[in-house]
Amino acid sequence: MKGMTSKALLLALVVACPCGWSYVAGLDAQQAASPAGVPRTADGKPDFTGTYQWPTYLPGDERGRSSATVFDRKRFAPLKPGGDVFLEPRTGDPRHDEPRDFCMPAGFPGGMLSANAMQFFQTKNHLVMVHEFQRMSRVIPLDGRAHRKGLEPMYYGDPVGRWEGDTLVIETVNFKRWGLDDYYYTNSKEYRMHSDALRTVERLRWKSPTAISYALTIDDPKIFSAPWTQEFEILSKPEWDKDGLFEYVCEENNRCPGGKCAEPK
Amino acid sequence: MKALVSVLAVAVLLASAVRPAIAHHSFAAEYDDQKPLKITGTLTKVDWMNPHIWYYVDVKNPDGSTTTWAISGGAPGQLMRRGITKDLLVVGSTVNVEGFKAKDGSNNGFGQRVTYQDGRNVFTATDPAGRAPK
Repeated sequence: MKGMTSKALLLALVVACPCGWSYVAGLDAQQAASPAGVPRTADGKPDFTGTYQWPTYLPGDERGRSSATVFDRKRFAPLKPGGDVFLEPRTGDPRHDEPRDFCMPAGFPGGMLSANAMQFFQTKNHLVMVHEFQRMSRVIPLDGRAHRKGLEPMYYGDPVGRWEGDTLVIETVNFKRWGLDDYYYTNSKEYRMHSDALRTVERLRWKSPTAISYALTIDDPKIFSAPWTQEFEILSKPEWDKDGLFEYVCEENNRCPGGKCAEPK
Repeated sequence: MKALVSVLAVAVLLASAVRPAIAHHSFAAEYDDQKPLKITGTLTKVDWMNPHIWYYVDVKNPDGSTTTWAISGGAPGQLMRRGITKDLLVVGSTVNVEGFKAKDGSNNGFGQRVTYQDGRNVFTATDPAGRAPK
């Protein structure tokens, strides 16, 4: 152990920890029907229209130090050979090390886990998720269409949704290689980067009239030996409706990009 | 191995006790937790803007000159949803600010605790009119 670097230690922990990555019990729970009293549309589908808190931890999950929710490493599948690119080394260049400090996009799923309000709008053919952080908006077709072809990789990927009983399943592909979450706020040595092969699967299901189970599967075959899933909770916040979402224009007054501050006047 | 993990865990806990949570960027990107900031001065301006609010404090120096400090806080939306509004920062008031200086040595910093002269905490206690945050 003597002389082991932080990165090597972390990789050892990730590879050695088999707990949670198969996540069978959680997926089984996702197939269950929603309890009585949950919101439904006129055609009987669960209705996710509303105002919500960002996805938050279930009891016992590892928490980061920042206000954003982060993934619990206990959920990770073992890294594949070569999967250590998951932990991107810092270069000292702030544009590489922390692009968000220059108002670059958070991307998905990191932006979805930021500690701001969210508002969802559901129609028969679309779910629109608007997140206050960076005013991230995701327009998710529910009409059975396939993923779009021929697009450049994107920060937020290309989502399509489908119903599996009372569970809305959103599959997103075509990501640009980008930060997975905000864990580097907690440990700057752990700058988690997903690859451009990332595929995410979100499963949303009302588990009570005021809480949505939000299971997020990370399938990144360039990094992990198997898909893995972490379940979060999205709480309904009708009391936030009256104020709605606040504007978020990051460039408006970003006074210290890259740690170089404007002198106060 | 166990000992090393324990040491790392304690180190993380200690660090988390010092560094405040920031949403838009990591604390370390802009501030230095080894450079504490403690000033008293006059609040001259409030930028209630994204990605973080900034407010400006004029501090009188012993030689009679004035140094203006710019202090960063949370994002406006996050603060307002906690019932903390711009009018809690009253321009012209004398405030005490405790926090951390910017890494680059400029007169910027992060305000962890801001109090009026009577001890009221600007962000967690009542406003100058005595109203509790919503």
